[in-house]
Amino acid sequence: MSEMAIEAVGLGRDFGAFRAVTDVSFSVEAGEIFGYLGANGAGKSTTIRMLCGLLLPSRGTARVAGFDVGQKPEAVKAAIGYMSQKFSLYLDLPVRDNLDFFGGAYGISGRALPRRAAEVTELCGLGGLGPRITGTLPAGLRQRLALACAILHRPAVLFLDEPTACVDPQARRLFWRVIRQLAASGTTIFVTTHYLDEAEYCRRIGLMAAGRLIALDTPAALKRAYVPGRVFLVRGENLAATTSAVRAQPGILAFEPFGAGLHLQAEPALWNEASVKLAVERAGGREVVVEAADPSLEDVFLAALGRAEPAA
Amino acid sequence: MTSRQGRFLRRVAAMAAKEVLHIRRDPRTLYIALALPVIMLLLLGFGLSFDIERIPLVVADGDRSAASRELARAVFGSRDFAAVAGSDARAAQTELRRGQAMAALVIPAGFARELDAGRDSPVQLLVDGSDGNTARQIMGKIDAILRAHGGSRAGFADSPPLAVKVSTLWNPASRSALFMVPGVAAYLLAIAAVLLTALTIAAEWERGSMEQLFASPVGRLEIVLGKLLPYLALGMLQLLLVISLGTTVFDVPIHGSLPMIFVAGLLFLTGMLGQGLLVSVLARNQLVATQAGALSSLVPSLLLSGMLVPIENMPWILQALTVVVPARYLVHALRTLMLKGGGFQVIALDLLALLAFAVVILALATLRFKRRLA
Repeated sequence: MSEMAIEAVGLGRDFGAFRAVTDVSFSVEAGEIFGYLGANGAGKSTTIRMLCGLLLPSRGTARVAGFDVGQKPEAVKAAIGYMSQKFSLYLDLPVRDNLDFFGGAYGISGRALPRRAAEVTELCGLGGLGPRITGTLPAGLRQRLALACAILHRPAVLFLDEPTACVDPQARRLFWRVIRQLAASGTTIFVTTHYLDEAEYCRRIGLMAAGRLIALDTPAALKRAYVPGRVFLVRGENLAATTSAVRAQPGILAFEPFGAGLHLQAEPALWNEASVKLAVERAGGREVVVEAADPSLEDVFLAALGRAEPAA
Repeated sequence: MTSRQGRFLRRVAAMAAKEVLHIRRDPRTLYIALALPVIMLLLLGFGLSFDIERIPLVVADGDRSAASRELARAVFGSRDFAAVAGSDARAAQTELRRGQAMAALVIPAGFARELDAGRDSPVQLLVDGSDGNTARQIMGKIDAILRAHGGSRAGFADSPPLAVKVSTLWNPASRSALFMVPGVAAYLLAIAAVLLTALTIAAEWERGSMEQLFASPVGRLEIVLGKLLPYLALGMLQLLLVISLGTTVFDVPIHGSLPMIFVAGLLFLTGMLGQGLLVSVLARNQLVATQAGALSSLVPSLLLSGMLVPIENMPWILQALTVVVPARYLVHALRTLMLKGGGFQVIALDLLALLAFAVVILALATLRFKRRLA
């Protein structure tokens, strides 16, 4: 049996009396894109720092690329790539110098470095930017340069801590294209995000809340498990006044304002579209449209949080 | 060389090369390191002069005899004093109070008579003591003149007069620049070294790149060495600049060993860079690091190094404090080497103290650096 790229068993970390991460267990296969989701402060970055050998775990163990993070942090560091929240580049230096420096820091020797730098430049779509001062690049390009610097030494496992914060949607799409290419060539990707749409790119996702891992599976399986009913979207005007009328309808499992509309989860057997529409119109809604929607990870996240809370 | 050592050196080289790039990109660093010392040395060397000439002095001659006039001539005969018009003791005091004169020599009535009778004939010297340094110099000068004059007047016609000769060793013209340049060198090296390292390391924390470095195989020692080596080189360049400026513009001699000057400078710089490292490890942000770095280098090297105020003149508690101020040892070493001459033997104790400071502070900084990363 081949060894897992990441294997955490009962991993936990305290800061004084505060439990940042409470006994998390999971494993990630080689070449998998593993998403780690959660609100700010849920313990995502603390987990990633323990896995990168930056923080000693208070409890439990983790092995990354075959090395124990508590006992062999230096071996772990040589085998991984890490991109922290603020793409920590040297903004006063040109793109080329950033690549040269991180190459040197990872011990890539003289002749191999320019060849490898050209490869990652090509892969990350940074062609022709060598002499540009990093600080003058838009956020999307900086982000891909940070990625390029993190993969120069061909890490077996790549950790990305909220890599797409502050980056526009098109740049995010380009970024994820590179990530998928890396995964296809065998790199294991561990990525934290709070963009739920990005989680759809992941093969499996773990949901973090208040330091606990409250759910873990493929996006499709999570949706099946956490959103048992069907999902509908009610659109129209003056919907704010109609919420209590909607809630009173039979078969409504969950209920959330969503943009200008209402997001409903309903038990399919009890669902009656015409009756819901009528109730909304009677309560004062105008131009009401009810349509079926796909369950999103947001539905999953809210459902999972709802279930986890009584236990917490 | 094993591949382990090879990787170590490669990483140190990568860190150092990056630092050189930062320095090249940021003209402020070069300004602090190279232009500032030149400007400061010129300002302090020319402006902060303790040499005084043509001190305004009023003579209140209450005797109006040949002997009293002769004494006044002797006083104004040197270039040290310039005459301010005055009549009696009361008028002289007014001149002093107004600041028109800095000293008054009061010759009482009967001065010549007492002298002729072979008795002691005291004269009174009033000195404006608001500037202690100047007051001391005036008293010393007048004292010397009076003794010389008294000796020549002693009246033994056929024996040579008793000549009092005041001579200052090693700095015969008592020129401040000679005294100042070694002090200023220590002061400038201290500020630039502490400030620049504190800034560059705090910048890594602030930027978040420190975390990036810790997630890579680059070790703490490699970061410390890579950061310090370029600034050590810059500091040595600075020392060279200050010394050449001192010898050319201010004619400061170098009687002792020139290589030893640089050995002392190197040890001092290492300690100062360690101090900068410690400051930035504790502060972790550029603003605090700048304040703490400037304060912790500027104040001791300016006030407790013996550069401005002789250590022997300080209250005992400050004297005790200077023991742990490395600038004190560098100032002493530089003054000894430049003005007195000699080599390793004469500054061995200073070198030892500088070495001890450097070792302790670097160990402290590296230890602290490690501990705060959990």
